Amino acid sequence: MTFIRNHLGLILPLFAILFAIEYLLVFDRVIKDYETRLQEQYTVIVVAEKSVEPNQIKHANVLVNSVESVDAESVLLRIRKQISKRNLEKIKAVIPAFYTVKLRHYPDKKRLEKLKRDLLSVKGVKRVQIFEKVHDRLYAMLLFMKTNFYIFGALIGLIGFLLVMKQMVIWQLEHKERMQIMALFGAPVWLRSGVLFRLAFVDALIAILLVTGGMVYLISDNYVKGILTEMGINTTLLLHLNDLTYLASAGFGIALFCAMWVVVRFREEL
Amino acid sequence: MRNVIEANSLKLAYPRHEPVIKNATFRVETNQFVFVTGASGSGKSTLLKSMYGAMDISGGDLSVGGIDMRSISGSKLYKLRRHIGIVFQDYKLIKEWSVEKNVMLPLIIAGFPKDVCRAQAIKLLNHVKLSHKSDKYPMELSGGEQQRVAMARALAHNPFLILADEPTGNLDDYSSQVVWELLERANEELETTVVVVTHHIPEMFNAEYRHLMIENGVVYDIH
Repeated sequence: MTFIRNHLGLILPLFAILFAIEYLLVFDRVIKDYETRLQEQYTVIVVAEKSVEPNQIKHANVLVNSVESVDAESVLLRIRKQISKRNLEKIKAVIPAFYTVKLRHYPDKKRLEKLKRDLLSVKGVKRVQIFEKVHDRLYAMLLFMKTNFYIFGALIGLIGFLLVMKQMVIWQLEHKERMQIMALFGAPVWLRSGVLFRLAFVDALIAILLVTGGMVYLISDNYVKGILTEMGINTTLLLHLNDLTYLASAGFGIALFCAMWVVVRFREEL
Repeated sequence: MRNVIEANSLKLAYPRHEPVIKNATFRVETNQFVFVTGASGSGKSTLLKSMYGAMDISGGDLSVGGIDMRSISGSKLYKLRRHIGIVFQDYKLIKEWSVEKNVMLPLIIAGFPKDVCRAQAIKLLNHVKLSHKSDKYPMELSGGEQQRVAMARALAHNPFLILADEPTGNLDDYSSQVVWELLERANEELETTVVVVTHHIPEMFNAEYRHLMIENGVVYDIH
């Protein structure tokens, strides 16, 4: 029982911290994916009196990724049958040039307004449509999601950290006596703290495996898969091989820090 | 004969307190058996602590095994302790280790292979008549049995010096007798120097011994 309690004392807070890290990693990817999709779907329309060199529009603002001119023929094709050829020619002569502008990333409101000003400053451009209302609503939603996920992750991490701190104090009390006795018989630091480091290593390994195992389960479970797909979340975003490196670094790093803390704070009291 | 312990005008004091030992000048030679006596609070245990480096020296000189204890550093101190056997009144056994592993401790620290450590532990547990309890944990033993385990541990690595702090203070007659016999044998057969802090020198003690007495912070060489 004591054995289980000793191990759970570190495994649980480590699990909480690693889960928070994995949670932040996953939702960072999900939000980035969502942001990319928003950015891909979002287009700014530039209207110019006459044809403008696309490079002029592209260099107007760093946000601009690509510029494509909208073929006037495709617009006129729809009304061709309803009007005479002469009128069509007249319309063709006065129809402005349209350009669709794709952006490098999904901008905030301030950057979007600057983009609009920059594009309007291009010679010949008379109107820029940025669809503010749709943009602002989606951007607010994105910000809300980001903030909530980070706050939640930080809270779990903080609780885990506090539990780890508590475990460090417990360890200090539990191992002090043995370390004192070993020091009396001349045991070097590595030998008298060996048990502590072994304990920390095993606990970190178990916590890492639990978090990774949980994520693998989520990916492979059909029910969870279905829910995520319905929510439009790509399940391949859930666990990346890189995550294992982050989890292992954090898990072993924290456990090692705990053991080091106990060793460094050890003072011979006889 | 070589001096194992040498104290010259030794002064020992706890921080922000009057010195407990004001003046101690004595020599302990190889293979001697020394009793240190004195009233409660006279500084017997403090003097012993200074001999294994658990007490800072406030003044004078002290050397143990030829090593100056005033300027001894961490690693040097641990090296010295690997050649000393210490016995405490409260046994100081590792409670989460078995009796056998407790006895093996000094040998594990010295880096002996596991089978050598185990063989030596079994031999010593036989000497203290506790071989049948080698798998037990300290909490499962009586006080007398725990002290016999502590004795076996102190002898495991054939130390050149045994320091014992009231080793029979809490023991019944039988366990006390076993402890004194073991200390006598170690002194006679292994030529180990033994320093024992005690309230009374046991009446049934047969071997030749020296007697240091502490009174008012001064160490007197009585006999």
